[in-house]
Amino acid sequence: MSARTALQRLLKGSVTPAANDSRFLLDVHSRAIPGRERMRRYRDDDEVDLVIVGAGAGGSVLAQRLARRGWRIVILEAGPFWDPDEDWVSDEAGSRHLYWTEPRVIGGEHPVALGKNNSGRGVGGSMVHYAGYAPRFHPSDFETRTRDGVGADWPISYEELKPHYEEVERELPVAGQNWPWGDPHAYPQSPHPVTGAAARLWQGAKRCGIEMRVGPVAIVNGTFGNRPHCIYRGYCLQGCKVNAKGSPYVSHLPDAIEHGVEVRANCMALRVEIEEGSGRATGVTYATEADGRHHLQRARAVAVAGYSIETPRLLLNSTSRRFPNGLGNNSDLVGRYVMVQGASQTAGRFPEELRSYKAPPPEVSSEQFYETDESRGFARGFSIQTVAPLPIGWAEHVLADGHWGRAMREYMRDYNHWAVIGVLNELLPHPENRVTLADEKDRYGQPVARFDYTLTDNDKRNMEFSTDVITEILHAAEAQDVLTIQRFAHLIGGARMGRSPEEGVVNEDQRIWETPNVYVTDGSACPTQGSANPALTIMAMSSRLAERLAGGAAR
Amino acid sequence: MARDLRRPDHLPKRRPDGQPPHPSWLPRQRRGITPQMIGRYPDYDVFDAEPTWDEQTRRVVKERLYARGPLRFFASDEEPALRAFCDTATAQDAEPRVPVAEMVDRKLANGWLDGYRYHDMPSDEETWRIVLSGLDHTAQERHSRPFAELEAPAREEIVGSLAAGKLSGGPWEELNVGRAWSVCMRAILEAFYSHPWAWNEIGFGGPAYPRGFMRLGQGAEVLEPFETPGATDEDPVRAAAELER
Repeated sequence: MSARTALQRLLKGSVTPAANDSRFLLDVHSRAIPGRERMRRYRDDDEVDLVIVGAGAGGSVLAQRLARRGWRIVILEAGPFWDPDEDWVSDEAGSRHLYWTEPRVIGGEHPVALGKNNSGRGVGGSMVHYAGYAPRFHPSDFETRTRDGVGADWPISYEELKPHYEEVERELPVAGQNWPWGDPHAYPQSPHPVTGAAARLWQGAKRCGIEMRVGPVAIVNGTFGNRPHCIYRGYCLQGCKVNAKGSPYVSHLPDAIEHGVEVRANCMALRVEIEEGSGRATGVTYATEADGRHHLQRARAVAVAGYSIETPRLLLNSTSRRFPNGLGNNSDLVGRYVMVQGASQTAGRFPEELRSYKAPPPEVSSEQFYETDESRGFARGFSIQTVAPLPIGWAEHVLADGHWGRAMREYMRDYNHWAVIGVLNELLPHPENRVTLADEKDRYGQPVARFDYTLTDNDKRNMEFSTDVITEILHAAEAQDVLTIQRFAHLIGGARMGRSPEEGVVNEDQRIWETPNVYVTDGSACPTQGSANPALTIMAMSSRLAERLAGGAAR
Repeated sequence: MARDLRRPDHLPKRRPDGQPPHPSWLPRQRRGITPQMIGRYPDYDVFDAEPTWDEQTRRVVKERLYARGPLRFFASDEEPALRAFCDTATAQDAEPRVPVAEMVDRKLANGWLDGYRYHDMPSDEETWRIVLSGLDHTAQERHSRPFAELEAPAREEIVGSLAAGKLSGGPWEELNVGRAWSVCMRAILEAFYSHPWAWNEIGFGGPAYPRGFMRLGQGAEVLEPFETPGATDEDPVRAAAELER
């Protein structure tokens, strides 16, 4: 154990972020970000220092960091500014408004369902409804081309992100056991208690010789400033009404607003404006949802953080004489190399009632299969995580195994006896897996995104192998029946970093090549995805970018 | 013959015919309402915990109890096929029914999209209309009657073909049949399992804010004070007497 890890362990439960007061700015008795009525407002023709598109994981962290350095910032967010007390509910079907459900088209041989599983809308972004798993990427993720001959090497290394991972883990904060995989590390908060359902799965894994650990989840374990302890309600995917689960809404936006950031909600960005002569961005044209009227927010720099579908869409829609095929798309790379993770889940039936709807769905996970093992017959790997669907999610699981009508009702009535475990496969980047513009237009007359996706043979072998592993875990746990669903999760890529304009849309500072002042600060900048949930990495990258911008290195 | 809920013998995949047993082994609901008044938790009613729910969630959940017609999205000549299809897909053959048809109608009438459309498929709205006319087309072809007028086994056979993506001719040529099934089932399952009567049937704890859950163990240790354990239709007095013997 390094001295640093030993120190962190000693301090567990008392390690808090140095330059972020969000936890104290929230109210003990209500959930909304206080002080919205006092929030700084800018006029469209004020030339702010930075306009950010998207108030999610990427945009919020960048805003919070730079606001503390005195930058004048406006965030444009397509969706609403939530008041969790009023707008969120303890209910699956009642949470549809948290997702990006505007029209989109999907294609390819293996089309990826969008909407509730992987797309957020509103202040806080999709982290409002993510499960809460917050693992780091492994050092190997940054050089898969060199190590394994697949994917791509990043222009930055794990070491460059590491201090930002640590800082964001303190801010969310992340709870979990000491982590033995990738770059071994400790977490600022202790692991949560484990439910009977997760304990059964863990036992099965142990019998298969598979190591699992509790966490890492961005869920408060203890009080954290004015944020209360988790109440084990089980509705993480419906927006945490408790303020216990970390998301930019509670972890970064309160501090950002306190430092003068304006979060302008219900404003859909339509186009990044480029000055023909210099190639500089001058601001972002957006439409207000209420009246559809167009506005131009002037800014000295622009950061796009709309995630892997909307960021490419915005860039492709931002045509100019200098960029006739879309902003930053002169090498035809915008929208390419979009990745998803394979996310098969298997459910096992046990004699006792487990009632897995209690407690956060993310509990115990393993990264033992994360790296390449040639004996498995494919490159790269997968992670294993316990999950816990609520009734509608469970019904989709039962249907996917081929049961409807009377058979479905029977499996559904058996809900309380089941425990579910899933995988996240690292599926490889491919240029033809891409976002393009469809013929269809949205309510603002803007062409909608089309996302085509097709698996490679390596992807299929990885998914098949990992599904067998979790099925073995269930058998080892003595499950009496098994139901399986094949699915996808998460989005990454679409405007990736590269060492040259031929290799990526943005450079190592996430700046679009050929522009002096447009940045991409969300998951679309990632060249690979590992088999880790992406939220923490997106935040850490924004934290790093903020440091580069503040230090002037990126200009 | 009483069944032991610890055993999985009632589960379709564990049975030779792949189908569940006749629901007569299930207890009649004694408390609250379940679809068809059967379920595994005869003494459980999710509304017993209602005083612990937050106001916003209570409003959203209770509104579902009052989902009524007239239908706004579907035309009156589509209604019989819609109801027959929703009933068959969710095995609702008697009152009380979760009003799946009304809830699907509301979703489509309100334009509540799911966030994606397959490139080779029409809009979800159009898909629903084509599926309903396709069901009637196949019913006429196989039995010379509209879908809604068929007996349950004949309807189940046609819906089985739809689920397998194996319907063709007439309206079915206008879309990818397997994907149409998934579009429809997304809406049907969301409707059925968002209804508190279905929660009673499956013993789901329901809304949990601001109260939360406290008992995270297994077996008897996982029950909150307002939750009751699963049961079968066996007579508890006779079962106890048998144990004594």
